[in-house]
Amino acid sequence: MAPLKHLEKENPIIDASFRYFCASHGIVTVEDFLLHDLEGLAAFADRQTNSDRLKEGITVMLSLVERQCHPWLNGMELLEDLQRNKHILSTGDKGTDSLLKGGFREGQVTELVGPSSSGKTQFCMQAAASVAEKHDGGVLYLDTGNSFSARRIAHFGSSSDTSLGQKVMSRISCHAVYDIYTMLETLQGLDITLRSQVQTNVNEHRLRLLVVDSISSLITPILGGNGSQGRALMVAVGYMLKKLAHEHSIAILVTNHTVGAGGEGGKTKPALGETWKSIPHARLMLSRDHKNSNCTISILKHTSMPSGQTMRITTHKANR
Amino acid sequence: MEAWRLPLSSSIRGKLISAGYTSLSSISSVSSSDLARDANITEDEAFEILKLANQSSGSSSYNGSGSLINGAKNAWDMLHEEESLPRITTSCSDLDNILGGGISCRDVTEIGGVPGIGKTQIGIQLSVNVQIPREFGGLGGKAIYIDTEGSFMVERALQIAEACVEDMEEYTGYMHKHFKANQLQMKPKDILENIFYFRVCSYTEQIALVNHLDKFISENKDVKVVIVDSITFHFRQDFDDLVQRTRVLSEMALKFMKLAKKFSLAVVLLNQVTTKYTEGSFQLALALGDSWSHSCTNRVILYWNGDERYAYIDKSPSLPSASASYTVTSRGLRNSSSSSKRVKMM
Repeated sequence: MAPLKHLEKENPIIDASFRYFCASHGIVTVEDFLLHDLEGLAAFADRQTNSDRLKEGITVMLSLVERQCHPWLNGMELLEDLQRNKHILSTGDKGTDSLLKGGFREGQVTELVGPSSSGKTQFCMQAAASVAEKHDGGVLYLDTGNSFSARRIAHFGSSSDTSLGQKVMSRISCHAVYDIYTMLETLQGLDITLRSQVQTNVNEHRLRLLVVDSISSLITPILGGNGSQGRALMVAVGYMLKKLAHEHSIAILVTNHTVGAGGEGGKTKPALGETWKSIPHARLMLSRDHKNSNCTISILKHTSMPSGQTMRITTHKANR
Repeated sequence: MEAWRLPLSSSIRGKLISAGYTSLSSISSVSSSDLARDANITEDEAFEILKLANQSSGSSSYNGSGSLINGAKNAWDMLHEEESLPRITTSCSDLDNILGGGISCRDVTEIGGVPGIGKTQIGIQLSVNVQIPREFGGLGGKAIYIDTEGSFMVERALQIAEACVEDMEEYTGYMHKHFKANQLQMKPKDILENIFYFRVCSYTEQIALVNHLDKFISENKDVKVVIVDSITFHFRQDFDDLVQRTRVLSEMALKFMKLAKKFSLAVVLLNQVTTKYTEGSFQLALALGDSWSHSCTNRVILYWNGDERYAYIDKSPSLPSASASYTVTSRGLRNSSSSSKRVKMM
């Protein structure tokens, strides 16, 4: 916990005499301050000569502490926020939309799991095209495997004859990320940018969908081995994504791959382990039957829908 | 801004956080000697931390240029870039057709197949074809060939290079007849000079080489293709700990992706096959496991169909699944001369 002297730069009331007073009661760090009996401290402060300044210092400390945690929200406020800010975005595919009763919900992190070449990147690109076109929203595509293809996205227009035009394509931005630290920095920078955009009210094409394809290739190099640092970073990324989604009303779509369940050699399970399982709000599993190239999407976990439902989806044919 | 996202070792990070320095602003406002004293670390370590903190707080400041994050590109601009991206021909027009013109730059392509199907031949052909000058429709670049199995044969490369030069001279002769064209300057030994060959004998050498490639390619900017033949060899027998193998391989895959994007070159990884028990039967699948299969942009599988060699696009973000046949001749890779020359679409 931070020693009190670091707070002096931004809050000049916490000067040397205040700190001396606190130290005389055994309070050196913020943690000590939180654990101490504050009423008793105020009573002691009364007896000092500079009691007003000391009491002001205590109030400033308390307000600093309160600023760190988010304000309480009651159910009505949450419902209002849901109805006003958090819309449902269509995924671009009718089957998936009917399976998810509308599509992705802003404010939630959806994970797409599937074995190799099952269509995850295609699904992501289709969702990006759909959000840019139908919902007039900005899309940010974070690509870890050089699989973003602008040509393919242009084919995902709603009418199969024309490809997407310049206005729609310019709403989709793509950025390549190759390691977990760059990812954390990028998300942090995005948070700051979005927060300052809210204040200047740039409402045209606000960011509505963030796609990370794929998050598992960033996390697999650090997971496992000695030390739990890899898992800590994975959870940190997960929390950052959820925070971004909720605060800025963005729908986030991440992709994950599957690994074989060791031992029996039978079913495959999603990678990244048990800790990651609880981080996304919704998990969808894609599987492709190579013999007749049918794609099936099924719900593994969802906040408002029963798991286990499946739907067949069609892959969009390329326009020649 | 949190201190936990700085790339530090976990023990130093733990000491930093327990001393109370959880945000980057608190780190940047303190001197290195104070930091060393409070967090119980050496002065040099404190100096490193300050440098990292200043770097990251500089880069995550507000970006006023309109794009959401630094370096993000617009899809419309990328569309035009993609259409003008050069491709490396494989000298077999059927194969080029299903690949959309050839092996694309900025992508990591994995090519795998049973032994004897022609993986090394494709590797040698690509390292010659990348050097075709721009006037003939090629890239005019150099090649890096990383050999882990010792299967690169210089005589074969010379043979293919001679065939390539002969084809180009024939084309120049045709151009001379109908138009004015320059004399071909290239000789087969020039082609061999432009292939940088690395022989790797263990997995640590392989990892070290991949780390070194960034610096090597910055000094030799003409390199347009990196071929690894094969990526599997040292990872199949030396590793006892499979979890560590997955980690090392995914790290290597990310490095290749970064190289491909940064220098706009093509990375071709040749892989071996193994048998996998799926859906009640044993099937051939590429080696190195499920996690590795996600680490490439495109995947091409080579297989035998009767007496013919076929190539099948297994994974691609923008190409449809298709297969085409090819043959390996003394002049290199060529179209197969069978009667049914139509490309089979899946």
